[in-house]
Amino acid sequence: MYKLLIILRYLRRKLTPMFAVLAVTLCTAMVIIVISIMGGFLENMRHAAQTLEGDVIIQGDMTGFPHYEALIAQLEKMPDVQAAAATISSYGLLNLDDGLHTVEIMGIDPEALDKVVGIRQTLFWTPQRITESMDRHAPGPEASDLAKRNYQLQREFLESLDLTEMAMKLESPPEWFPPREQGNVGVKPLPAIVPGIHVTGSNVRDEKGGYDFRNNRTISSSATLTVVPVTRSGGLLEPAARKFVVVNEFKSGLYAIDANRVYVPMSLLQEMLRMDAHADVDPQTGEATGKTNPGRATAIVVKGVPGSNVNMLRESVYQQVRSFVSVHPDTLIYRVETWEQKHSTFLGAVLKEKFLVTILFAFISIVAVVMIAVIFYMIVLEKTRDIGILRAIGASWMGIMGIFLGYGLAVGIVGAGLGFALAATIVKNINAIQDVLTRVFGLTIWNPEIYYFDQIPSQMDPTEVSVILIVAVVASVLGAIIPAIQAALKDPVEALRYE
Amino acid sequence: MNKVPGNTQSLLSALDLHRTYRMGGQDLHVLRGVDLAVARGEWLAVLGASGSGKSTLLHLLGGLDRPNHGSITYDGADVFAYRDGQLDRYRNTQIGFVFQFYHLLPEFTALENVVMASQISSSVLGWPSRRKAARTRAAELLATLGLGDRLQHRPHKLSGGERQRVAIARALVNSPAILLADEPTGNLDADTGKQILDVFAKLHEQGQTIVMVTHDDRIAAAADRRLRLEKGRLADRAA
Repeated sequence: MYKLLIILRYLRRKLTPMFAVLAVTLCTAMVIIVISIMGGFLENMRHAAQTLEGDVIIQGDMTGFPHYEALIAQLEKMPDVQAAAATISSYGLLNLDDGLHTVEIMGIDPEALDKVVGIRQTLFWTPQRITESMDRHAPGPEASDLAKRNYQLQREFLESLDLTEMAMKLESPPEWFPPREQGNVGVKPLPAIVPGIHVTGSNVRDEKGGYDFRNNRTISSSATLTVVPVTRSGGLLEPAARKFVVVNEFKSGLYAIDANRVYVPMSLLQEMLRMDAHADVDPQTGEATGKTNPGRATAIVVKGVPGSNVNMLRESVYQQVRSFVSVHPDTLIYRVETWEQKHSTFLGAVLKEKFLVTILFAFISIVAVVMIAVIFYMIVLEKTRDIGILRAIGASWMGIMGIFLGYGLAVGIVGAGLGFALAATIVKNINAIQDVLTRVFGLTIWNPEIYYFDQIPSQMDPTEVSVILIVAVVASVLGAIIPAIQAALKDPVEALRYE
Repeated sequence: MNKVPGNTQSLLSALDLHRTYRMGGQDLHVLRGVDLAVARGEWLAVLGASGSGKSTLLHLLGGLDRPNHGSITYDGADVFAYRDGQLDRYRNTQIGFVFQFYHLLPEFTALENVVMASQISSSVLGWPSRRKAARTRAAELLATLGLGDRLQHRPHKLSGGERQRVAIARALVNSPAILLADEPTGNLDADTGKQILDVFAKLHEQGQTIVMVTHDDRIAAAADRRLRLEKGRLADRAA
């Protein structure tokens, strides 16, 4: 009983153990923060990949494969498939409000694709976000009546727009859109395009991590997209250019996608890339052969029923594709893979990095153990006379060892607890902390162009955190073992004489 | 062996004690065959110059140190035949040490320092039931020694005499058979030293066995019997 009393008193009254507690706190916090960020990074990567790609991807080459509608119909009959949708991927040039951009173009049918991947959730300009943005810029009471009236009109108009629905009906935007274009009354409406939120440079994140609709110069402006169709043999055909109207922007959270990708209606992209159904022409004579080339897609994304195993789904989809190809030999599909397989090199690298960083920090923690050992050695020296006194009034050598081991345990528990609190606070507010550092010191720690995500991802895993906390406590006790033995073996007479 | 006065029986006895220290590569033969018998209820003073081995003798009697040769018998049992745990218990319950430099734990109050000695022999589970009685006993002892208003003071807030009285209370809290005092007045002025001696005299009156070592004849004069430690041996009569 006296041991507990002594441990608590030593802990409260001395500065030296506070250094040991600090060492444990910092080490624990450091490891938890690093693991949480790496874990969050991995989790975001997985989530983004799955949101963008679905569970299984049936991939053709750039010129695409025909009969995709029939294949989708067959796939959707499978019991473990919930939905499937075709897409076309290509590359091209986009002439936007702020200049020419090279972009990755995806031809999609939003309604069909939304059943496979959460495309609707990624559309950024929802009525709610527009309202919030307008609220932030409401004119103050000192503003002129004219300014207030203009604001009110603009607000009413913006709130009447449902940009999400417009983007979901990509092929047929309303005829009155875009309002900014002059003289388009009675002209055939422009088809719609949805670029990623970072394709244009005009969307700058504010301090709170949001974007301001009032500064947006992209929505409702026109954009010209130029593509170069290719033949199966790799030859180039005549480039095709089309004017589009920007109806919304999307934000997947994956910077590389948000800065490069644009969505356009699939049928239109098929047309531009000559992948739509068209009459076959004899290349020698230039005359119609009477046959029809069916429309093509470059990929089909598949979503499994909830709870289905992705690898098993891939296997059954693969079998289905094989039997389909045996009937339609012109369907050139060269890969059926899960989203994990598609990104395996990248995901694997991140996993390895996480493992390596953990090992590195484990080594740093050994330094903490040595520090605790040194600090405890000093405490034992400082407390030598107390050890003699306690032995003289009947304490056993085991009791003395127990005091210092218990002391190590207490330092470990307090240090690990504080470390956890510190880590939780930092992890929770890491983006706010980064914003403050950026504002005050002009220091950008997290550059989204390098790290894929536009925010620092973090996720505290309860199992990992528990293991780290236990290791911190065990390490503290380990650090205290040698000094504790040394204290226990001290000659009480010598200890009493210690000055 | 020295004669024990009267017909009281011997409580603690030492036979042919030798203790050698190794210092600076040389053997320092501090005790060279000490024989001693302490009777129950006796107040014995051991006189000796500084460095004569008085403290060493006291540490051996209290089971804090082990002799190179010889034995110590307490209540008929060989103290150094005890296992570690028994020796710890011997120090805790049968012996009460009072040191020249008080040796109080600086982080604890006067009351806590005294209670500590009874807490050491308690298990975690046993303590809650003993706690109240132990604290009452400690507070009473301190009050008897004139420290009733100093219970919550830490050692650095107490005078030398007060600290020594706290140390005496700690030595007495487990009602030990023998009080071993090492120059108990050595660090105090004459008046305060006198007060401490009065405390010892009172305890002696109540039947407490006391072994006190000192270099000061005037202090030793208060004891029933005086022995002189010279050249590592005990001489029967102090000068």
